[in-house]
Amino acid sequence: MTTGKEKQDKAGYLFVSPYVLFLAVFSAYPLLFAFYLVFHSWDIVTPPEFVGFANFRFLLHDADFWRALLNTLIFLLLHIPLQIFFSILIALALAEKIFAKSFFRAAFFLPVIISGAVVTILWQKLYSMDAGVFNQVLAVMGIGPVRWLTSTKTAMLSIAIMATWKNIGFYVILFLAGILNIPAHLYEASKLEGSTTWQDFWHITLPLLRPTMLLVVVLSTFGAFSLFIEPYVMTGGGPLNTTMSVVLYMYKHAFMFQHMGYAATIGFAFALIILLVVLVQKKFLDTEVHY
Amino acid sequence: MRIIFSGALFFLLAGSSSCIELTYWPSSNPEEIKLAEILTAEWNKLHPDITVRMQPLPATQSSEEALLSAIVSKTTPDVCSNILPAIMGRFVKSGAVVALDRFKDYKEVIYKRTGPRLARTFHSRDGRIYQVPWKCNPVMLVYNTEIFESLGLKPPLTYGEFSEVAKTLTRDLNGDGRPDRWAMKVSIKNIWWQRLFDFYTFYVAASGGKTLLQNDKAAFNNGNAVRVMKFFREGFKNNFFPETGFSGDAFLDGKVGMDMAGPWAVKYYQRLKPGFRFAFSRIPTPDRREGPVYTYGDPKNIVIFSNTKYPVQSWEFVKFLISKEADRRLLEITNQMPMRQGLAGDAYFADFFRKNPLLKKPAEQAAYVSPSDESVHLVQILDFISGQFEASAVYGVISPEKSIEAAAAQVQNIYDYW
Repeated sequence: MTTGKEKQDKAGYLFVSPYVLFLAVFSAYPLLFAFYLVFHSWDIVTPPEFVGFANFRFLLHDADFWRALLNTLIFLLLHIPLQIFFSILIALALAEKIFAKSFFRAAFFLPVIISGAVVTILWQKLYSMDAGVFNQVLAVMGIGPVRWLTSTKTAMLSIAIMATWKNIGFYVILFLAGILNIPAHLYEASKLEGSTTWQDFWHITLPLLRPTMLLVVVLSTFGAFSLFIEPYVMTGGGPLNTTMSVVLYMYKHAFMFQHMGYAATIGFAFALIILLVVLVQKKFLDTEVHY
Repeated sequence: MRIIFSGALFFLLAGSSSCIELTYWPSSNPEEIKLAEILTAEWNKLHPDITVRMQPLPATQSSEEALLSAIVSKTTPDVCSNILPAIMGRFVKSGAVVALDRFKDYKEVIYKRTGPRLARTFHSRDGRIYQVPWKCNPVMLVYNTEIFESLGLKPPLTYGEFSEVAKTLTRDLNGDGRPDRWAMKVSIKNIWWQRLFDFYTFYVAASGGKTLLQNDKAAFNNGNAVRVMKFFREGFKNNFFPETGFSGDAFLDGKVGMDMAGPWAVKYYQRLKPGFRFAFSRIPTPDRREGPVYTYGDPKNIVIFSNTKYPVQSWEFVKFLISKEADRRLLEITNQMPMRQGLAGDAYFADFFRKNPLLKKPAEQAAYVSPSDESVHLVQILDFISGQFEASAVYGVISPEKSIEAAAAQVQNIYDYW
């Protein structure tokens, strides 16, 4: 005889089963299989061959992997400050009473919903050395052409600018929500004390945006670490491997060279590095401010 | 009981009368789909007991990707005609393809059509043959005849001549101090397959048809490879090659005077810019040479996959695909060259070449082509060469000698480790 509690349990299991099934098929199984591959050499078409820790040993001595990691960190250091600075600036402007506010809010969000590949191809044309719009504008101003994507000095910065333009709308929305949530009486009180706009921003807005800031930093860190489509389409990892990201390098090993075991090893090592970076960020930013 | 008996009899009869069905995957470009439709329709008319169902290769980033997925999921067709010989090593290793020496007439069929020299270049490393040499697109120099005539230029045959022609072609036409017409389009992207159409093609030409590997060892650490690397370095250093991506085709738009292309380009150019005047010429070499100069053939071959239930019938269909009539249709519909010895001088095709004089040179060149090496590591090898090409030819951060040496050492590492 089934009790009411057992019936309730069964119903509960039934309700969660689609999610459990989805998790098992699309997350748990690939993760476990990737872990299995870490200790194997597999070219997709022939059976996997056990290689012990050989993939790890290769990774430790693989100069190209460490170069890709350094490139990704450079991108992170360029992209996140750019993104935070401009998204706060735009969010502050959009929080004010300005003309066609809704239009501007939508306009800044528009690049977020456009396909990454389309945006990348478009910017590739803008950056083109001999025929790009940017260099044509510079020429009109009497400035010589910039090798946006073909110089080792500017390629990653050019990608970071493009990625910032593409993603900024999302972070503007987050910061805008954060700014609009700051109680107005704090600004009123500070005005009575004779504060300037800069003091308001520095002592009220910025501290109270910390939770949003943490969210933005963590999300953009994940985004920056998963840098792939931009270098894949725009530079192929060049010039001279300066835009080769870890994910692009992993893709090359997995789908170009069919080194599935090594690609899985890169994936696991990279996941650990991301975890480490996010923990460090959390330690420095995760402090609450109350007034 | 009667019902069961009748049912069994029905299925038996149905089984005995049902015809064999083969699946055939051609390339998914419009011309080849059209060719495949015509050929399968003809076959089905002639062989009502062996029906062929044509299905273009599934759309993925590359045919190789689609085929590897099909092998893993055991959904390969019986026959496929878009096989890059370089990838055969992996197919053979996985047992995915049928060795053609199981058919008594394979040698006669393949050698007679393709000729022993070229046919042997497609033998696998185990000495057996798994692929039928089908068609090639000899990579040649194409030049804009209008620009060349207006400047009184002739297509360059040597590196020295190329340099002279390039100097005349590279020009600042609008007076802004920067060139807006260049000599030739060479991709600066570090992408492995791009090197097949620049460094490798020029290496094949410079070395008299040699390929990159010999017995799993790098065979390109030599003067010819260095000369080729120097040639491209000079081109980039002197701005003969644009350092840019263009929207549209720079060759069709007259922004470059030369490009590298195969005979497939004839239909492509005609479709995009009717009336565009251009011609083919052989690949320039370090010094003037009498007689034929080799090039990369960009071949695509036919295989029968091991999953087939009907290898004998598949072989019959393959023989139909490489028959003289089918080769004529291949020429007419796709402009690609069947790998058939004596093609340019064969009376059967004479009428076609009379009507299409532009294609006569690629047809003559088709007798002097080299494929890429068959190696499971070919992509990685070309990726290393591409990295060195970028470092040496495009950016000049290392010397051509050192770049070739480094690429050869990296190739050895691939074999030692992977």
